[in-house]
Amino acid sequence: MNARKRRVEILRDSSVALARWQQAIRLRAEWLSHGLSCEPAERDAAQAAITKLYALIDAKPPEFVWVDSPAKAYELLAGRADAPIDLTSPMWTQSDMQPVAIRLASLQGQLRHRLEQRTGSSLDPPWSATGSSALARDHPEEALRTGVRLPEVLDVGVLDALRLSLRDGLAVPLRAKLGRGSNLLGWRGQHDAPWVAHFDIRRRLGMALLGPEEAAQLEMWAQIVRSCGWWWPLADICVVAERTSAVSVETSAASRHGEVRLHNATGPAVRFADGWALHAWHGTVVPAWVIEDPAVERILAERNVEVRRCAIERIGWQAYLDRAGLDLIAAAPDPGNPGCDLRLYDLPPQLWGTPARLLLAVNGSVERDGHRRRYGLTVPADLDDPVAAAGWSYGLTAHQYRQLLRRT
Amino acid sequence: MTTITLAELTALSGRDVLDHLELEAAIPVVNGLQAQGDLIVIPHAMVEQTAVIGFRTWRKVPPSGVELLRSASGGNPHTLVADPYTCEWLPWPWDPTGLAIAALRNTSTVYLIHREHGATGIAPGTWVVRRQRERSTAGNSWSSSRRDVLVAD
Repeated sequence: MNARKRRVEILRDSSVALARWQQAIRLRAEWLSHGLSCEPAERDAAQAAITKLYALIDAKPPEFVWVDSPAKAYELLAGRADAPIDLTSPMWTQSDMQPVAIRLASLQGQLRHRLEQRTGSSLDPPWSATGSSALARDHPEEALRTGVRLPEVLDVGVLDALRLSLRDGLAVPLRAKLGRGSNLLGWRGQHDAPWVAHFDIRRRLGMALLGPEEAAQLEMWAQIVRSCGWWWPLADICVVAERTSAVSVETSAASRHGEVRLHNATGPAVRFADGWALHAWHGTVVPAWVIEDPAVERILAERNVEVRRCAIERIGWQAYLDRAGLDLIAAAPDPGNPGCDLRLYDLPPQLWGTPARLLLAVNGSVERDGHRRRYGLTVPADLDDPVAAAGWSYGLTAHQYRQLLRRT
Repeated sequence: MTTITLAELTALSGRDVLDHLELEAAIPVVNGLQAQGDLIVIPHAMVEQTAVIGFRTWRKVPPSGVELLRSASGGNPHTLVADPYTCEWLPWPWDPTGLAIAALRNTSTVYLIHREHGATGIAPGTWVVRRQRERSTAGNSWSSSRRDVLVAD
């Protein structure tokens, strides 16, 4: 084939890929909205799908017990000896003795394995820092135009993006909040959207031909994602939680593929109907007080630096310094940042654990609202000169840092 | 590259910035110490103890640029962009402070772009790029958990 012909072929392939990518973006948004849905559960649909899955492992239809939140489900399950907790327990080596949840997990595992083979894709693609995956992440269309294959763009732009929003950003912190015993084997309903979307989108784009049984079972899992919250299957009952009743998210400036992160500056970022809730500040999960009552005393007593930073940002650095009554040690013009001062404050050592001082600096670039953001940095306590403190943060002396020409 | 505006640079590099930044102003080219958020670009002569010569191979900066640093939350990268054959870079040069993430040497102006901080020009020379740190306040002063932590903006 001559070069011209080959070029024409690449162009044609990439225009097909670009059209499919546009369709994938729409489907991704659909699955994300299921993941973030706050509608009451569609109980009939959820029960029907779960009952079908029970049938596939030859288990009798369970009695369904609906609860308002995963926390409520845990209360209910805590006292039950048959709630499977430890996957390695020897009593489950005989398959007919295996609890329903273990058998469902095997069923799901087998389905996912077969779907990976059918679609030639993997739910756990090898981590790579190749140029093409960076390009696919930042500039998917350009990647497709320059010959990066659509599956690679889908891995980054659909699977990774949905996992970031729904698994890492939502299900993982909710599970952490459940605390001890949170390894009860169960499924996440609406928050299981990422893996279902991974295969469903490939199927709908005509990139995979599934066998009738595979298609039917995938649809059962998909129906659960579309209709309810977390669920825990046992032999006689199946505990199913309602969906979230309120979720507050934002897209960060870094979002390239519609990723969202939890954020609510005035209340819980996630709430269930029974009041069980999770607070978050720009994607960082924080204790409720950080949002609801960020008192200075609490900030001073908080040992987690991330939480402390969120709480201080919540009330604002300047307000924090004013209210905390920290002593100003010295102020000096910020070299390279005309009109802005570097201010060095003493920090109460008994409350911060380590002797340290606080350097308050001003960003070199303006925010969207036209203001420049102030930010605080902790520096060694033996520094008395704000310029030396700023220099230290970059491993430079005061003399060197004074030569700063520009800050952006 | 000669003097260009942020709008031109983003069009050339395909790296975008937030639209409230001054897109039509010419990007200053700085021949000396300069900072962009949590990164600082230091003339190599100022920190000669940082090794930029050795057995390591310098790499060419590709047309798509090099992401020198992407913040912890997967956030905005600081991207180095250069005309072809004008800039080489070296990841993780040896540095006594442990803060250096890259060294670069360029024969014409290169640019550092960040979505929130905009862009800045770096004059020809040899440079060391360091991250910013702060003193960890977690734990007690005598415990091993006392160490410095890197700043991510």
